[in-house]
Amino acid sequence: MKKGSVLLIVVAVVAVLGIWGVKTYNQLVGLDEAVSSSWSQVENVYQRRSDLIPNLVATVKGYAAHEESTLEGVVEARSKATQVNISDLSEESIRNFQQAQGQLSSALSRLMAVVENYPDLKANENFLDLQAQLEGTENRIAEARRAFNETAKTYNVAVRTFPANIIAGICSFPVKGYFTADEGASKAPVVQF
Amino acid sequence: MLAALVFPFAASAVIPDKPQPERLVNDLAGIFTPYQIDSLERELVAFDDSTSNQITVVTVSDLEDYTVAEYALRLGNKWGVGSNRNNGVIVLLKPRGTDGYVDVTIQVGRGLEGAIPDAYASRIIRNVMGPYLRQDIYFKPVALACEQLQALAAGEISEPRDDDDEDVGFAIFMVAMTMLLIIIVVIAIVDDQNKRGGGGSHYGGGRGPTVIIGRGNDFGGFSGGGFSGGGFSGGGFGGFGGGSFGGGGASGRF
Repeated sequence: MKKGSVLLIVVAVVAVLGIWGVKTYNQLVGLDEAVSSSWSQVENVYQRRSDLIPNLVATVKGYAAHEESTLEGVVEARSKATQVNISDLSEESIRNFQQAQGQLSSALSRLMAVVENYPDLKANENFLDLQAQLEGTENRIAEARRAFNETAKTYNVAVRTFPANIIAGICSFPVKGYFTADEGASKAPVVQF
Repeated sequence: MLAALVFPFAASAVIPDKPQPERLVNDLAGIFTPYQIDSLERELVAFDDSTSNQITVVTVSDLEDYTVAEYALRLGNKWGVGSNRNNGVIVLLKPRGTDGYVDVTIQVGRGLEGAIPDAYASRIIRNVMGPYLRQDIYFKPVALACEQLQALAAGEISEPRDDDDEDVGFAIFMVAMTMLLIIIVVIAIVDDQNKRGGGGSHYGGGRGPTVIIGRGNDFGGFSGGGFSGGGFSGGGFGGFGGGSFGGGGASGRF
């Protein structure tokens, strides 16, 4: 009889721990998925920007052919940025990603500054449409990054808080990195008509 | 998980709160006449009723250091303009103030980005609103922009507003499944103990199930809240429906 009740208590404790473990694990999986999906949104919007660039460069070239170095800078930064493919979302990976994309952002703002000197280009409907698309994309990037940081923070808090961090450690749920505010480049340029 | 769903759109404090009662025309800068506000409000409410797309007009006198697009984006997500199909549009205008500029933006909800591409939004700002805004005329360009936006949006989503009960259905399903699971666990445990034949052991027998049920409840511990449908309320505006914005749209400064 006594042996039986001890056994029952052991079984109950194991069951409770098991249920807690499964529940915590599933929670972490859900949070991890949320981070992945917000990351794919980030990649999406950066890709969108990348896709706009050939058209933009071609249009600007038509009016400002001797701004070659600025145009080349954009093309080069674009190809560098698209080469950065990251497999995990560690702090270092995100920093590299952000650095490469940040260089493209600065190259683009240099290009848009140069454009100010070409009134004909600034009056071109095609260019104005592209400029609007670029602006919308920069806003989408800012929003996607904010959403990513938000989900990454929720996830990081979960995997680092006791006692869930035990499950996170056993089942390998690494801490994710964040986007940091970058100097000046994060804000979409104001389009003045 | 829930936190992840709820907090992404927790907007900053400087963005004004949703008006009470909720309205589609919010002239916070005070640049329209009451008659203008009423006529535009009626038009936009009718459009919301017939197509479920919510076009909101907001004027503010200060952008609080945000770009106009960022301000409108945050405001749209804070207010939840649009239904669960994310079919909201915001026309936000800051009249010429001490900085000497008129800032205007059209922010398009995620669900309407296909119907109102950035370039189209920009053309409305450049070609329709621009000529008026340069002369500091505010109501006419806003009304014209709303007209064009209605035509574009109606091409994508055009069905009368109805309340979506999907969320409620799912919540009920989850509750039912959780209860079923608890019952199965309890039956299994009781059954197991009966088989063990320890009928007289009310000491050991009482413990197992109690503990397990306690955990079981926790297992299903989610709140069913979070569904806000914009229903009818006697002809007026039914309210914002929790739509979200991802940055689509365009803006301009004159």
